[in-house]
Amino acid sequence: MSQTSTPIITAVGITKSFGSGDLFTTILKGIDVTIMQGEFVAIMGKSGAGKSTLMYQLSVLDEPTSGTLTIAGESIERKNEQERTQFRLQTLGYVFQDYALVPDLNAEENVMIPLVMRGMNWTEAKTVAQAAIAAVGLPTKYKNLPSELSGGEQQRIAVARAVAGKPKILFADEPTANLDSFSSQQVIDLITSLNRDFGQTIVMVTHEREYALGCNRIIHMEDGLIIREEILKPM
Amino acid sequence: MNIFRIGLLLGIRQIQRASIWTNILIVFVMALTFLNLIAVSGILVGLIVGSERALQEKSLGDIIVTTKDNETTIIDTPAFTRVLDSIPEIQDYTVRFKEGAQVEANYKTRRDLSQDKNVISGSIVGIDPIKEDAVTGLSTTVVEGEYLDTSEDGYLLLGALTLDRYTAGFADITGSLENIYPGDTVRVTIGQNTKEFFVKGIINAKAGEVSRSIYIPERELRRLGNRVTQDAEEIAIRLQANTDATMVKNALINSGLAEQAKIRTFNEALPKFLVDIKNTFNVLGTFIGSIGIIVASITIFIIIFINALARRRFIGILKGIGIDRTAIEIAYVIQAGVYALAGSLIGVVITYAILIPYFDANPINFPFSDGILVAEPIGTLVRFITLFIITLLAGYIPAWMIARGNTLNAILGRK
Ligand SMILES: Nc1ncnc2c1ncn2[C@@H]1O[C@H](COP(=O)(O)OP(=O)(O)O)[C@@H](O)[C@H]1O
Ligand SMILES: [Mg+2]
Repeated sequence: MSQTSTPIITAVGITKSFGSGDLFTTILKGIDVTIMQGEFVAIMGKSGAGKSTLMYQLSVLDEPTSGTLTIAGESIERKNEQERTQFRLQTLGYVFQDYALVPDLNAEENVMIPLVMRGMNWTEAKTVAQAAIAAVGLPTKYKNLPSELSGGEQQRIAVARAVAGKPKILFADEPTANLDSFSSQQVIDLITSLNRDFGQTIVMVTHEREYALGCNRIIHMEDGLIIREEILKPM
Repeated sequence: MNIFRIGLLLGIRQIQRASIWTNILIVFVMALTFLNLIAVSGILVGLIVGSERALQEKSLGDIIVTTKDNETTIIDTPAFTRVLDSIPEIQDYTVRFKEGAQVEANYKTRRDLSQDKNVISGSIVGIDPIKEDAVTGLSTTVVEGEYLDTSEDGYLLLGALTLDRYTAGFADITGSLENIYPGDTVRVTIGQNTKEFFVKGIINAKAGEVSRSIYIPERELRRLGNRVTQDAEEIAIRLQANTDATMVKNALINSGLAEQAKIRTFNEALPKFLVDIKNTFNVLGTFIGSIGIIVASITIFIIIFINALARRRFIGILKGIGIDRTAIEIAYVIQAGVYALAGSLIGVVITYAILIPYFDANPINFPFSDGILVAEPIGTLVRFITLFIITLLAGYIPAWMIARGNTLNAILGRK
């Protein structure tokens, strides 16, 4: 594609350290990364390489020890806790490793609440939530509780929840780690299609190379650093 | 507004998904707490109110007329009662003549003069048996023998507390008449005059005053007491149902009767100690109930704390996806509020639909009172609001403690 792309995430010199004294460890040792609008980026690396830690920084769930982070034109460092929560609500979508649905709420309600939180009225949120659930292929499961869904189905509802509000960026940290290979493929196909069909910007951590094949770019990490980038499909 | 709607949804769903037994248990605890708060002071106060009622029904009437402070009788009692006759709100009244008297029993069987006389000092009341019965239902308190007959001379009624059989030891100080039954004779002495009477009946009422007195027809009392006038010591007035006693009292005072006697409503005439005990019991009951509130609030605190702790990860995820933590706190406050509301509601229904009617129909039989359950709506409302607010706090604090924690730590289950 030849159109000019704009960066949506710009991270410069991100480090993250934990503990103090003898227990002091630096997990991220200076990450520079830029992610373009509409790009689908996979992060790969051995267990313990710091992939999740990087994801938490980029997705505003954590605060880096140093470095600057600009997302969708907004500087993140200046934001307080409440503003960060608000920012996550308005701008970002999350799919966690294990299906992180609220067990007391049914599928539809799980998808609805971030929409209502954004100010959508109840009936509209319900309509949008049902459409999102239908779009992930579970049009008959609106009223099911998480405990009445399989792992793969729960993860697809989690994807619906993450994207129903049309976030600027979708984050997914090993979304298939707890799924069998069939369900994994379904979830990966779903995420891939969001990028392909709707131009959704996605940052996804995965262990399986085959799941990263639909990406534009794979970032390889080792020991808290980006060691290599692999372009599969240029933007 | 949207935060509140999300909080409401989360709160309702949490209650719905909780085990039915957990919900029943919590609501049960709340209902018991509420009952404890209402019933303990309610029964303590009801004890006194029962005793007040007995006084009103059996002794004082709705309005009680007594002698002015420096007089010995109601001045010109016949003129006074003529005014009473003309007032339509007055249903009945009874004129009482009172004297101090000595009553001696067992004088026929006393073997020698060195043996102690079986004699008591007491208050003797001269009444018109029919009018007294109309005001206080004195005939219904006869527990042995029969009520006085206006046409008969030489009969009296003995209050049960003058008899050893009823006082069973505790009246030893004041003395009591031994082994007296209806049909026996006793000697009554007023001043210099002594007359022998047959005991016609024994009366026993929850108003101690009545059970300590001796009743004879008024003309006998006036004769024994050497009285030349018709002036009496006391008039008890019974009003028509639903008549305001204060209003009638004021009408009596306005017609100048206060010159002749002291006129008080039943409430004004209540002995001060009863009012004091009632207030003390109310405070005591509230205090005992407050301990219950503390226990209930700790229960709610623990339940919400455990609940929120078990959901810490989901609380983290909710915050992670951008849900304001206020919504989560609201959810738990609503949960606590629903428990408090349901419990109180059950408590109110039990109190007003079961306990109060039950105790009204079957008062607790205390020696000095027919104890009932008193729960003034205002007092109940205040207690309900107190319990409700404390419960909301008990739900809010643990929710706040957990929801304010670091989001990522909560999601990852780190400490
Ligand atoms: N809060 C923490 N305190 C100390 N060490 C941590 C903390 N979080 C993660 N680590 C360490 O950082 C390293 C990278 O973790 P993580 O980012 O989860 O790796 P990955 O997701 O690539 O498997 C691991 O060695 C892990 O033990
Ligand atoms: Mg990881």
